Amino acid sequence: MQKGRPIPTLTPSMIAIWLAFATVPLWIEKVGLYQYLGVEILIFATYAMAYNLVLGHSGLPSFGHGAFFGLGAYAFGLAQQNIAPDLWLCLGVAVGAAAIGGALVAAFISHRRGIYYSLLTIAFGQVFWFIAIKSHAITGGEDGLLKIERLPVRLGFATLELRDNIALFYFVLAVFVVVTLLLWRLIHSPFGRILKAIKQNETRARFVGYDVWRYKAAVLVLSAGLSGLAGGLFAMAQSSAFPDVMSLHYSGYVVMMALIGGGLVTFWGPVLGAIVFLLARDVIGAFTTGWMLWFGLLFVILVMYKPEGLGGLFLRPLSARAR
Amino acid sequence: MTKSRITRRGALKVSLMTATLAGTASLFGPWQHNRVWAQGTKKPIKLGLTCDASGQYGNSGQDDLRGMRLAIEEFNAKGGVLGRKVEWITADTETNPATGTRVAERFIAQEQCGFLIGALHSGVANAITQVANKYGTIYMNTNSSAPSEAGENCSRVKFVWDGNGTNFSKAAVASAVQKIGKKWLLLTNDYVWGHTTAAATKAEVEKAGGRIVDNLLVPQNTRDFTAYLLKVQQIKPDVVAMAIGGDDIKALRQQIAELKLEDKAAWINNQQDWPDIWGVPETLFGVFGTNWYHKLPLPGVPEFVKRWQTTYPQSPIPVPGNVSYNGYMATRELLRAIEQTGTTNNIAIIKALEGRKMSALDRMQNYDAYIDPVTHQIQQTIYLAKRNPKPVDKTDLFEILSDATPEQAFDTASLKTCKLKPYADIPAYEQ
Amino acid sequence: MSIVGLLPHLVNGLALGLLFALLALGFMLILGLMEQINLAHGSLFALGAYFAYAIATPRLPLPPDLLAIWAAVPLGWRFTAAMLLAPVLVAPFGVVLERMMRRTYGRDPLYGLLLTFGMAMVLEELIRTVWGTRDYMLPVPRGISGGFLMLDLIWSTYRFWAAGFAVVAMAIVWVVIERTRFGALVKAGAHDSEMVRALGHDLEKLRVWVFVLGTMMAALAGVILAPVWGIRPHMGVDAVVPSFLIIVLGGVGSFWGAVLGGILVGMVVGLSGAYASEWSMMSMYLLLIAVVTFRARGLFGKKSVLEA
Repeated sequence: MQKGRPIPTLTPSMIAIWLAFATVPLWIEKVGLYQYLGVEILIFATYAMAYNLVLGHSGLPSFGHGAFFGLGAYAFGLAQQNIAPDLWLCLGVAVGAAAIGGALVAAFISHRRGIYYSLLTIAFGQVFWFIAIKSHAITGGEDGLLKIERLPVRLGFATLELRDNIALFYFVLAVFVVVTLLLWRLIHSPFGRILKAIKQNETRARFVGYDVWRYKAAVLVLSAGLSGLAGGLFAMAQSSAFPDVMSLHYSGYVVMMALIGGGLVTFWGPVLGAIVFLLARDVIGAFTTGWMLWFGLLFVILVMYKPEGLGGLFLRPLSARAR
Repeated sequence: MTKSRITRRGALKVSLMTATLAGTASLFGPWQHNRVWAQGTKKPIKLGLTCDASGQYGNSGQDDLRGMRLAIEEFNAKGGVLGRKVEWITADTETNPATGTRVAERFIAQEQCGFLIGALHSGVANAITQVANKYGTIYMNTNSSAPSEAGENCSRVKFVWDGNGTNFSKAAVASAVQKIGKKWLLLTNDYVWGHTTAAATKAEVEKAGGRIVDNLLVPQNTRDFTAYLLKVQQIKPDVVAMAIGGDDIKALRQQIAELKLEDKAAWINNQQDWPDIWGVPETLFGVFGTNWYHKLPLPGVPEFVKRWQTTYPQSPIPVPGNVSYNGYMATRELLRAIEQTGTTNNIAIIKALEGRKMSALDRMQNYDAYIDPVTHQIQQTIYLAKRNPKPVDKTDLFEILSDATPEQAFDTASLKTCKLKPYADIPAYEQ
Repeated sequence: MSIVGLLPHLVNGLALGLLFALLALGFMLILGLMEQINLAHGSLFALGAYFAYAIATPRLPLPPDLLAIWAAVPLGWRFTAAMLLAPVLVAPFGVVLERMMRRTYGRDPLYGLLLTFGMAMVLEELIRTVWGTRDYMLPVPRGISGGFLMLDLIWSTYRFWAAGFAVVAMAIVWVVIERTRFGALVKAGAHDSEMVRALGHDLEKLRVWVFVLGTMMAALAGVILAPVWGIRPHMGVDAVVPSFLIIVLGGVGSFWGAVLGGILVGMVVGLSGAYASEWSMMSMYLLLIAVVTFRARGLFGKKSVLEA
């Protein structure tokens, strides 16, 4: 498909987006917002990108991703309180726990597609959510796992504190950079092309001789692991882990983010979606407790008239030829 | 077509859009709050009121807010505090801890609130406390009554205004074991307040020589209690001690009343919040605790009720109850402390509040109250009540059975579990 | 626990199961016959309950005189009127929803799912705006409320009436689907829409009617379940999850699958309530995973277009 020209590791748009984010702490308070919101937006942008690996790039409509995000958050907190308060270790555990959760789900559902896939992911999402609420000895139940520290970044030669929201923002940005780079490479690797083939026509991909089951399982595990990473960061931002992020609502929110931004057609769509979603929640939420009404309407109209999402308006489609 | 052409122009558009969106956000201000006083020469004192407007405690959260607003209006009518007007802002914390965190962050960082007030649900209260801890912001927990609030989750910046589960158990359990029976069943809402309250009740029951036969955990937002009521009937306890809150207890009471199970056992509800009764008074039964009632025969009560009613002629709940009362008292005492110390310095105000004595007359209760310097919990009169068989009007739902002094209801366990940070570790600020 | 001790929980589970089946059936109609997941099903269910509350209490936007006349009518009549009228009043919402969903036909079914997820959000907020956040209780006529003695325990009378209503409602749906021309057309349309069109039938109209039927089922379930589960804005979400779960369990597109799935879920929830009441809701998810692991398409599922 991309004969002749290799895919560059870095693209100008990538760098521009990173730089744009890097300036956020400089002006976010001047426009009447607050640093913590920046942190949340960036974490959800990472999460939405991880999620879009499944939805946008592989065509697997998971509706239970909150489970993996939440698993990461809890694993981060539990590792910190029970193993060792080391940032890298805890983030590693967060990724690992979510990936294992992903593998478990994948083992049950990877032979499914379409709506059946959605239904089963919802069911598994509910199971994880329920377990989180019920195991209060471990997770703190409905009240959440509290007293999670923002651990310092130990780099060997220096140690950076993350207590401040700005410091945390830049750390999350660093993670975001790594994750986006990784995803970019991944979807342009042979693995990514097979995912795309599966997305376009699973049956054909199978006839061509790919072990579709294995690819679908692998991509879910990867996406779950990265969602868990975002969840670990969220636990740091909130200093706690709550079961709510695992609920059907929150799982739906990340689908909305990916879709609003245009995750089905563009690489950066989920980032745009996360920004729009969280800003809308904060801005509309400040006027009326009924922000969901207006945001829901906006979303419905988008699905009806612009299913490729806002990204379709602003960004060049990922693959112009496919449309 | 190569993907590297997602292009500079496209990317520029993204960043431009980000900026535009952010810009619009600020344009959309001012936020939902009361800016009437902003023209004054002195900077106003700003309070962030963290009240649920939806979820299990949405109804109570709004009643809490009415109490706080009344206190604020009374100070503003007198010319404010330290010559500065008092401003407030509120946002829906949704009975959801994650939302509580975000709202607290926004109030402190973006809205520059010097003080936070509010919360019903212990999870939300904990979430807000964590944020307040980080910034050193003083936080008045008005109505969350989990014993852990002034125990393991206590904080130097937080003050707890409601009587807790242990207080109510102390006031109720011992006499119930003697008068009613030794076989107790617990029905417990499955979250921190429920668990800690059940534990406190269990300890009291066993101390008095009673026995807990089972503890049935009820998930939050349960509406169909059939399975639990079947078990209650099979177990046949002497006393059922409930720690069920918010709208859940309304539904439970309704179902018990419908089946006429009131007489099958003695039902004790740890604490009965007024907003949870209003609307379904006909289902009120059993014995329950409260820390205030609008028909207490004490001086000042009728006047307070009158002021409250004049301020809120349209209120869905026609009289102030314990939730609104706690919101009012917490806000009033905070503003008084600011006035008396002559500063908004948080450490100075914390010190002024610690050990603070409040007379029975001033708080419209039977006994003097004080703020415990060790746990930051307000030690106050605890009442036991049951449904009033001879009400004088349609709001007169309680018959007060007894009252316990702060000493009788004192939660001794909290002294051991609560560890406050030294002042030096609290970020100091002035507003 | 002895068998005798378990019996009450089994009875309770059966009653609950019939209610679950009713709840799931409307969802199944739209999913099985139109290949659309309607996540707004729960919101239509909630609207049914709220409308019933408005009719029965009565809190209607009527002139005071008319309202007073209606309020003087015995509760039994008002309750019956609520049960008959509320589904009719909710039906237009279904029509509008179907209109909106038309734009997603022929596209990935994911879009229908997303659209209805968005509409569920909107409807829930709408309910919150109109009725506020507080809980309501639907009053039940004296004759079918209260309790009765059985197995030496007191039971809620209405629960069994509700189960009875559910059976009647399901029987009506069965007749409509299996014994009428309309039902035959709908089923044919689900299998081969071109064929139906070629035979000169208006597929568009057919779809609207299926949606209306599904919507009315949801609303009716809302009325019947309101006295048991209470009325509050969040009830829609609480209802939609078990209903789709039952469908997956029973098998997409199967009437008896939905009924059996509902009863099975009710029994499992009821029985686990006897041993570990706080885990009882969890048991239904585990049941689903167990069944789906061994029977990929649920109990009665046929191969459907959804898997392609």
